[in-house]
Amino acid sequence: MNVLGRIIYDLKSALVISKRYMRIYYTRPSTVMFGLMFPFFLFLSWAVGKNAPMNRLFPSLVAIIFLFSSSSVGPTILPLERRLKTLERLLVAPISYLSILLGIIICSIVYSVFISTVLVLFGIIFLGVWVLNPFHLLIGFLLSAFCFASMGMMYASYPTEYPGDIMIALNFTRLPLLFISGVFIPLENMISWQRFLAILSPLTYCNDLIKYAFTSTSYFTPLINILALTAYSIFFVIVGTKIHFKFYEKGISGKPRQR
Amino acid sequence: MGIAIRACELTKYYGTLLAVDHISFEVMEGEFFGFLGPNGAGKTTTIRMLTGLTRPSEGEAYVFGYNILKETLQAQRLFGVVPEVSNVYTDLTVWDNLMFMGELYGVSKSERIERGERLLKLLGLLERRNDRAKGLSKGLKRRLVIAMALIHNPKLLFLDEPTSGLDVRSTRTIRNLIRKLNSEGVTVFLTTHNMEEANVLCDRVAIIYKGKIVTIDTPERLKQTIQSIQSVVVSFNNFSKTMREDLKKAPTVYEVRREGDKFRLYTPDPHTVIEWLCSYVKRKGLKIISLNTVGPSLEDVYLKLTGGWA
Repeated sequence: MNVLGRIIYDLKSALVISKRYMRIYYTRPSTVMFGLMFPFFLFLSWAVGKNAPMNRLFPSLVAIIFLFSSSSVGPTILPLERRLKTLERLLVAPISYLSILLGIIICSIVYSVFISTVLVLFGIIFLGVWVLNPFHLLIGFLLSAFCFASMGMMYASYPTEYPGDIMIALNFTRLPLLFISGVFIPLENMISWQRFLAILSPLTYCNDLIKYAFTSTSYFTPLINILALTAYSIFFVIVGTKIHFKFYEKGISGKPRQR
Repeated sequence: MGIAIRACELTKYYGTLLAVDHISFEVMEGEFFGFLGPNGAGKTTTIRMLTGLTRPSEGEAYVFGYNILKETLQAQRLFGVVPEVSNVYTDLTVWDNLMFMGELYGVSKSERIERGERLLKLLGLLERRNDRAKGLSKGLKRRLVIAMALIHNPKLLFLDEPTSGLDVRSTRTIRNLIRKLNSEGVTVFLTTHNMEEANVLCDRVAIIYKGKIVTIDTPERLKQTIQSIQSVVVSFNNFSKTMREDLKKAPTVYEVRREGDKFRLYTPDPHTVIEWLCSYVKRKGLKIISLNTVGPSLEDVYLKLTGGWA
C-alpha cells in the first residue's frame, strides 16, 4: 500500500470507528456532564445578573461550550474502551492505533460542532443574537473543535480505566484557561502579565475568532486567530500521538499475572 | 502445506519480569494447535504478541509469512481473535456488534449481512440479534465474540480460553463450531486449561511453563512419554475417612487421590494393586462397586511437566 492509499485507508477506518463511537458514547453521563451541563452552568453562574448585551456574552458561551464539549469526548471514550477491553478488539483488527485516535477526534468534533450549532440557532431565534461573519464562524467552529478535541485526546493518553481521572486533570487546565483567555475578562481590560498568559492560551484565539464572527470586532486579526488555532491543533495532535504511543502498552493492560 | 504461524525466539519483558522467554514454534496451515500452561505461564502474552497487540521485546513472529511487526495490517486481515474476556460493545445490539466488526475488516455490506445471519444462526443467537449485548448471558456473549471473530472468514483463529466458565450447552456448541471450522481448513490456535478439551480437539499441543515451552507434540505421543504414570480407579460400597490412608499402604502405589466417591491409585504396576485391593476388601468386609485401570492422561503429562505432582 502506498502512502496515499494508506492515508485513505486510515481515514476510512477512522470514519467507521467514529460513526460507531457516536452511537455509543454521546449519551454517556460523563460526556453529557462534562461536555454540556458543566460549561453551561458555569456560564450561567458568570452571566446571570451581568448587565451586558447578549452579543457580548454569547461568543463567550460558545467558546466555553467548545472548550468543554470537544475536549470531553476523548477522555470519556478511551478509558471506557480500556475498561471494557474493546480497545484490544479494535487493535487486533486491521486498523492502526492512529485511526482509532483520529476516529475519537472526529467524534469529538462532530459532538461539539452539533451542540454549538444548536446553541447558535437558539441564540438567533430566541435571544436576538446575529452572526455578522458566517465564514469566520464556520472556520472558528471547525478549528476550535479540532484544537480542543486534540487536546482532550492528548489528555486521554493517561492509561487509566476511569474517565473521572482524566477529567480531573483536564479541569486543572480548562478552568484556569477560562480566566486568562478573555472569556470572563475581556483582553482589553487585562494588565500586561495577564495578556502575556492570554497569548499562551488556545481558548483566547477561539474566543476572539468567534467574537469576531458575532460582532466584527476582535483583539487579534482573524488571520492570527486562525493561524494560532491551527498551530495549537498540530501541536496537540503531534504531542498527543507521541504520548499515546509511549503509554500504549500500559493502556492495553498488558501487565501479566505474577508467577 | 504452508506455515500459518512461525514464532522465532519470541520474548517479552514487562519491566524486569520475563513473561515469555525465547520461544520458537511453528503451526501448520489447517492444524489445530493447543497452547497449554498454568496461570501466568505466558499463554496470553504469546497470543498478544502473535496478534500484533503487544510488541515483542525480542524475536519475531510471522502469520502466513507476514511479519506481525512490519506487516501488521496484512497479517491481521487473515486472522480472527477470541480473547479471554468477552469484549463486546454492551450498549450495541448483537447485530450491530457483528456489523461493526465486519465494517472494520472491510467486508462489503451484502456479505456482512449474509455472513452475519449465517453465523448467528449457527451459534444460536439469531433470535437475540436485536437485543443489547449487555443483556446476554456469559455463554451467549462468548458466542457473540466468536461470531465477531469469524465475520471476515479468517484463515486462522486465535482462541484464548474460549469455553472457560461456560455451561455444558455453550461449551459443546463452541467446541463443535471450532471443530467444524478446522475441518473446513481454518487453522486454530487454542489456549486452554481444560486438558480434556485439548486432548479431544488438538492435533498438537505445546506446554508452556514459566515463559518457556517445555514440550510440543501430539497428545498421544506426550502420553506415551509418561507410561509409568498409570492408575487404578476404584469405588467401594462403603466409605470411611481412614480408607485413603489404608489405600496408600498398597504396594507400588505412590499417590492416592479422592475423586468424588472413587479413589485413584497411581502406580507403575496396576496388576499388583488390583491383587492387593481384592485382599483388602475381603479383610474389611467391603464390596468393589467399580474398578478401572487408566493410562496416563494429557492432564498427567501437563502436571508432570509443570511441576504439579509436587
